[in-house]
Amino acid sequence: MNRYMAKEKLKKPRRKLFHRHKQLNRSTAGNTLIFTFMIICGCFMALPLVMIVNNALKPLDEIFQYPPKIFVRNPSLDNFTDLFVSMNDTWVPFSRYIANTIIITGGGTIGHVLIASLAAYPLAKHNFPGKKTLFSMVVLSLMFSWTVTQIPIYMIVSYLHINNTYWALILTAWQYGLGLYLMKQFMEQLPNSLMESARLDGASEFRVFWSIVMPNVKPAWLTLAIFQFQSMWGNTGATYLRSEQLKPMQYALLQIQGGGAARAGAAQAVTFVLAAVPVIFFLICQSNILETMTSSGMKD
Amino acid sequence: MKKKKRRLSLAQKRAITGFVFISPWLIGFLIYYVRSIYMTVQFSLSEVSPAVGGYEAKFVGLKNLKYIFLEHPQFNQQLVISMRDVFIDVPLIIIFSLLMAMLLNQKFVGRTIVRAVFFLPVIMGSAAITTAIDNARSAMVGGVSSTAADIVDASSSSVNVDYYLALFKDIGLPSGILDYVVGAVERLSDVVSLSGVQIVIFIAALQSISGSLYEVAKIEGATGYETFWKVTFPMVMPHIITCLVYTVVDSFANSEVVSLSYDEIFSNNHYDYGSAMSLVSTIVVCAVLFAVVAVIQKRTFYYN
Repeated sequence: MNRYMAKEKLKKPRRKLFHRHKQLNRSTAGNTLIFTFMIICGCFMALPLVMIVNNALKPLDEIFQYPPKIFVRNPSLDNFTDLFVSMNDTWVPFSRYIANTIIITGGGTIGHVLIASLAAYPLAKHNFPGKKTLFSMVVLSLMFSWTVTQIPIYMIVSYLHINNTYWALILTAWQYGLGLYLMKQFMEQLPNSLMESARLDGASEFRVFWSIVMPNVKPAWLTLAIFQFQSMWGNTGATYLRSEQLKPMQYALLQIQGGGAARAGAAQAVTFVLAAVPVIFFLICQSNILETMTSSGMKD
Repeated sequence: MKKKKRRLSLAQKRAITGFVFISPWLIGFLIYYVRSIYMTVQFSLSEVSPAVGGYEAKFVGLKNLKYIFLEHPQFNQQLVISMRDVFIDVPLIIIFSLLMAMLLNQKFVGRTIVRAVFFLPVIMGSAAITTAIDNARSAMVGGVSSTAADIVDASSSSVNVDYYLALFKDIGLPSGILDYVVGAVERLSDVVSLSGVQIVIFIAALQSISGSLYEVAKIEGATGYETFWKVTFPMVMPHIITCLVYTVVDSFANSEVVSLSYDEIFSNNHYDYGSAMSLVSTIVVCAVLFAVVAVIQKRTFYYN
């Protein structure tokens, strides 16, 4: 009997969907209400993705079916085969487009996260003249809407003679103020004594930044990476890039899609691919945001 | 030279390291953003006309500002509407996303996927994907495409509020509160789909609160309510400011005023008027934001 009960106890937490111990004083009714609300909102938001996935799996006759159905009847991968066939007769080899995307999106994301974090560290934890002015300038730059600054930015890009290079996209993405703002707010929360102890042990400023500050604000820079990847991925680069050899994959995929009714199947597959990549990146980053115990080992 | 270097105080040395860390970002920032903002201000104070090899700007002082305030048929009205929208949206978005982040921060099966679902509107909103969805839609022909469009648009349609409106009017609520509530209900779908970024920021914020604080609260016998107000809320306060700034900027970037200035620039070719409009709306946003942030900043708790 006793053994049986022990077994049951071991099993229980695994079966339960939600861990009880953190919310001792919340009522079951309130819980149900909140989660119903959450589920409704969730369904609402998931609708476009459900559409995209289902459309991608629909064979041609179902795509043109009237009235259209949300869910697919006879799922097939024909659309993806179509897409691969059309990939083979693009102007430059498709692998080139993929490489371009990796360079632009990867370079833009990694560079932005690094530069923003580097700049945020002294803004949050050092004192120097002009710090406040600099920070208000960052906030001010966020206020200007991109629709108005895009012409000046285009003129600056052509003035720097980096038009029609990867740098036109990458450098422009690096300097956006929001990442700096986000990182600064997170770094400000770190206890000073953590950095103090590293300095006492003889760590250089860069060492303190790289092995103390950065690991401790991991949730922040993973979040920033999500945002930056998202905006880099959405950019087809058509404004700055003229030569076909430099254009990213997103651009090529949209070109394939433009083929009209003959490419209707491939078009659905393209939408799926374009939406799936950022979702997967989000999943990878979010599942890496684990509890980073900021004050572990602190005694104050 | 060497002697001089040795005389630097610790504070000065650290200031120099600080500048070294900031410089890669600062250089780019000065080249890109400060200059583009300067150009926008310059354009809004002058008459811009296309010329050989670019543009020609003739300084005319406040003429453009006078025009948009006194003569432009829509600007004043749109500015007020945008302001009202921002005031209704922002508190709702912040409260909703903090609530959602706290729910999504709990441990349950498949929480990463649920988090992704709430981030979907942001992913779907990016330029490449909207274009892709549009293209995919137009690949279907005739009546089919319009019905398919209806289904996709259903995700962004607003709620029918007439019924609720009549109901509340019967009770006799003050019209100010009523307007706010109606505005809120109408915007429910917008609020839900605009809070993706904020939810993710708040999740990161909640993750960086150390578990020992909760442990202490638990040992001291704090209720869930008390734990929220005494531990969670003060610790996420700095990030509420971040989200506030982001939300205000984001809602203004999608507001009527900005689309008006966009039209003025790209459809009517009045670069000067468009710049002046964006300058005015920027000043208004800044004033609002700095006031709000100043109030909150005083109550914000920083760890050190």
